[in-house]
Amino acid sequence: MSLTQRFPRSRGWAAGGAVRTRFISASTKQARRTGTIARQLPARRQPGPSLLAMALLPRRFLCFVLAHHFIAATACHEAEYGRQIRERCLRPFKISMEGIGQQLWCDWDETMGTYGELTNCTVAVAENLTCYWPNRLVDEFFVAVHSHYFRNCSPSGRALRDPPNGILCPFILVPILVTLLMTALVVWRSKRSEGIV
Amino acid sequence: VTLLQILCLFCNRTWDGWLCWDDTPAGRITAQNCPDYFPDFDPTERASKYCDETGNWFRHPESNRTWSNYTLCNSFTSEKLKMAFILYYMAIVGHALSITSLLISLAIFFYFKSLSCQRITLHKNLFFSYVLNSMFTIAHLIIVVPNPGLVKRDPVSCKVLQFFHQYMLGCNYFWMLCEGIYLHTLIVVAVFAEEQRLHWYYLLGWGFPLVPASIHAVARAKYFNDNCWMSVDTHLLYIVHGPVMAALLVNFFFLLNIVRVLVTKLRDTHRAESNMYMKAVRATLILVPLLGIQFVIIPWRPENRLAGEIYDYIMHILMHYQGLLVATIFCFFNGEVQGALKRQWTQYKTQWGQRRREHCSTRSTSYTATSITEVPVYLYHHDSNNEQLNGRYVDDSELVALKCGETSA
Repeated sequence: MSLTQRFPRSRGWAAGGAVRTRFISASTKQARRTGTIARQLPARRQPGPSLLAMALLPRRFLCFVLAHHFIAATACHEAEYGRQIRERCLRPFKISMEGIGQQLWCDWDETMGTYGELTNCTVAVAENLTCYWPNRLVDEFFVAVHSHYFRNCSPSGRALRDPPNGILCPFILVPILVTLLMTALVVWRSKRSEGIV
Repeated sequence: VTLLQILCLFCNRTWDGWLCWDDTPAGRITAQNCPDYFPDFDPTERASKYCDETGNWFRHPESNRTWSNYTLCNSFTSEKLKMAFILYYMAIVGHALSITSLLISLAIFFYFKSLSCQRITLHKNLFFSYVLNSMFTIAHLIIVVPNPGLVKRDPVSCKVLQFFHQYMLGCNYFWMLCEGIYLHTLIVVAVFAEEQRLHWYYLLGWGFPLVPASIHAVARAKYFNDNCWMSVDTHLLYIVHGPVMAALLVNFFFLLNIVRVLVTKLRDTHRAESNMYMKAVRATLILVPLLGIQFVIIPWRPENRLAGEIYDYIMHILMHYQGLLVATIFCFFNGEVQGALKRQWTQYKTQWGQRRREHCSTRSTSYTATSITEVPVYLYHHDSNNEQLNGRYVDDSELVALKCGETSA
């Protein structure tokens, strides 16, 4: 499973999300300064204002109109989001991975369920805090998770590997030695059954 | 930021959606193995990405987007698949031919009681192990290999099949070793013609291969438990192949020792006898290197595409047509067997001709032609060979024991 499947919108986000973040933060600053005025604005908006009317409005008013729509959306507090995904999502993930065991971290069949839960958890927290998903924090979060848990995995991610040489060599050498001993035994016994030593 | 990064122009590490690409110096093509995300992507082929002289990743001229070259990953797949199918059918045909020829040989050995002796008993066991090996291989090739659903389900039965497959492989080569040990004991060690007890040979041929097969099963289950244990990319296979190679090596040295004894000790005294003994061991001497060669040259598959294909064909012929080779060399090319078959054929012909003549006319024929076949082979040869041989190494009945195996194979 490729990274794009884990982050279905990450490539699109990379282009548009950054722009959106900057726009949000710019209009947030404006909205905070003129918050009281913005809350009164809805009464002014008539259904179907003409483009000409909109163009005649001063630019600052335009910013306030637009900012109003984003007040609810920019309730995403990034530090809070980061704290919540670390507490509510990373902790059960850590426990689960410890339970699976370090040997099997690169085995996707074993870790798929836990990883999926981690992803869904970050989505749920984003919805709770009305953040966009995915976002820069989630991306950094997952890069950190990958660099800790999946650093040593091969590129295809699912290949099994031989045990270390300390275990492999005895497994191979012992049958060879037993073979040679058994052969010597048979040669010796067949010699003896001939009556000749 | 390292000094190298400051001094040299390079393309930044990037993720292109399928693979990660590391920092690459400008003007260089970097490559790595294709991923296995798609069924027609071949992980042995290479995907490449070009970092141009200005330090940017290559952009495809049509779309002007950064582009990695994955074209080699699936361009040869259909050809490789076709060749894999050819090799697959070749393997099945080879094993089927082997089973047929081996069963015919076994029928010949069991039917002609006159041929029976200890060496033929060892041949019968060898042939039987080859038959079982071929049957398990055919079962594996027909049931497991073309059935990805079964492999995905990974039932215990396909691992049991693989266990028996490895066991029969061991049996094959350990029975060859038994033949070598028997010849060695007979020629180099024996003085008296007392027949050897074959219990130890049965133990080595049928019983001992359980040991490497079991150790392989345990190690595979614990450390490399892939579906149906089908992967050949693991060094754990050497648990079975190592003892097989050791057996082949020991066999080879035994046979060299036999040849040395025959050449040095008998050359001066009885040239004729040493030639005869040489003929007796010739068949085994031919077979041992042939049967073992697949294990020696397997690691060195040539890189070149055409040479690699030729290599694959040769290896498959050596591996899957072995039963046919063994049956031909040990049975069909054996002078004794050919003589027995000819006698049987003349007997049938005269009997049939007899019946026709009796049916058609009243003439009677003599039965003398048919009486020769009833005389046991060893007596027949014993009468014609009344030399007394010198040396500790040869005796008349030993001669008999050897000759009953083969004289001119």
